[in-house]
Amino acid sequence: MHKIVTAAACAAVCAAAHADGGNYAIDPTHTFVSFEVMHFGTSTNRARFDRKEGTVQFDRRARSGRVEITIDMSSVNSGVPPFDAHLRSKDILNVAEHPNARFVGDRFTFVDDKVTAVAGTLTLLGKSHPVTLRATRFNCYDNPIFKREVCGGDFETVIQRSQWGVNYGLPAIAPDNVRLVVQVEAIKQ
Amino acid sequence: MKPATCLLAALGLWSSSGSWAQPATYVLEPGHSFVHFEVLHFGTSTSSGRFGPIAGVVTLDRAAGRGEVSLSVPTAGVDTGLAVFNARLRQADLLASTEYPEAYFVARSFRFEGQTLAEVRGEFTLRGVGQPLSLFARRFACRLDEGVEVCGGDFEGEVLRSNFGITYLLPFVGDRVRLVVQVEGRRR
Repeated sequence: MHKIVTAAACAAVCAAAHADGGNYAIDPTHTFVSFEVMHFGTSTNRARFDRKEGTVQFDRRARSGRVEITIDMSSVNSGVPPFDAHLRSKDILNVAEHPNARFVGDRFTFVDDKVTAVAGTLTLLGKSHPVTLRATRFNCYDNPIFKREVCGGDFETVIQRSQWGVNYGLPAIAPDNVRLVVQVEAIKQ
Repeated sequence: MKPATCLLAALGLWSSSGSWAQPATYVLEPGHSFVHFEVLHFGTSTSSGRFGPIAGVVTLDRAAGRGEVSLSVPTAGVDTGLAVFNARLRQADLLASTEYPEAYFVARSFRFEGQTLAEVRGEFTLRGVGQPLSLFARRFACRLDEGVEVCGGDFEGEVLRSNFGITYLLPFVGDRVRLVVQVEGRRR
């Protein structure tokens, strides 16, 4: 009986701890933004931004949150150095004039205690437009290495690059639709 | 590519030109031939990495519904975006890149649905261990690039890493590894 009570008490405390809102720091080793775009209607080119930083405030009980991620655009990595150089050039991402992109998500949608979407604003090449990232998976767990709660998931959306003025190669080389794929994990502070 | 050629290629009209009636050999284009892998981390988010450019040759006989593919994947070039992860992945208990610098995919079983390539079945060899692997075509298309035919597409398959003896961090990092393959080959 004592064990059951202890377990129940622990479960209640743990649940309460999980339900508390709090600040989370992006885990850069499990947070990446990649994009996918069709190449000549044949195959999908993929590239990833290797450097980013950000913070998350997240409150499952209040069903609210805010995420801010800044992406170093010069860290674009497709595995093809000449393609990366072209991506960084004035033709496409114009990294010299616009070194960072930024996503601020402040409208979290929940189903039960899981985040299903984060809506916000993506600023790229100095232009800001609304973007909604949909969660294809979301979860929180106790990370045995950090000994802290980690929340995260996989998010994606499709943007029209021309909205941000990225018109190079439209429409034959690469179409307007670009799929953004986001892995994110954030550690409770 | 001239606009008219581009339009014809986009409409798939080259398929009736007869140029695909015989076996044709394509050499993979390094700029558009990569393998990405995806694995679930703590049941929460998907960690991924990239191998490539992959090298290889594909022979395709659309009329006969046959083909042959032979690809090699340099394992030491694994790129996750994190130097420490890349170094860890190259170690003996994971990719064992020193002992096995290449992984291979060799296939002679092509399944078409009508004119459309649907599946390539073959053998994937990683760390010297060969296992059957089916790659399913999510898309496949051919076009003319300055008069030379280029064919390619996106393929997906799945392996259990434990089948290749890679058991580190099971089950916290998933056993199922999704392979996402981009290939484009230029006709020789």
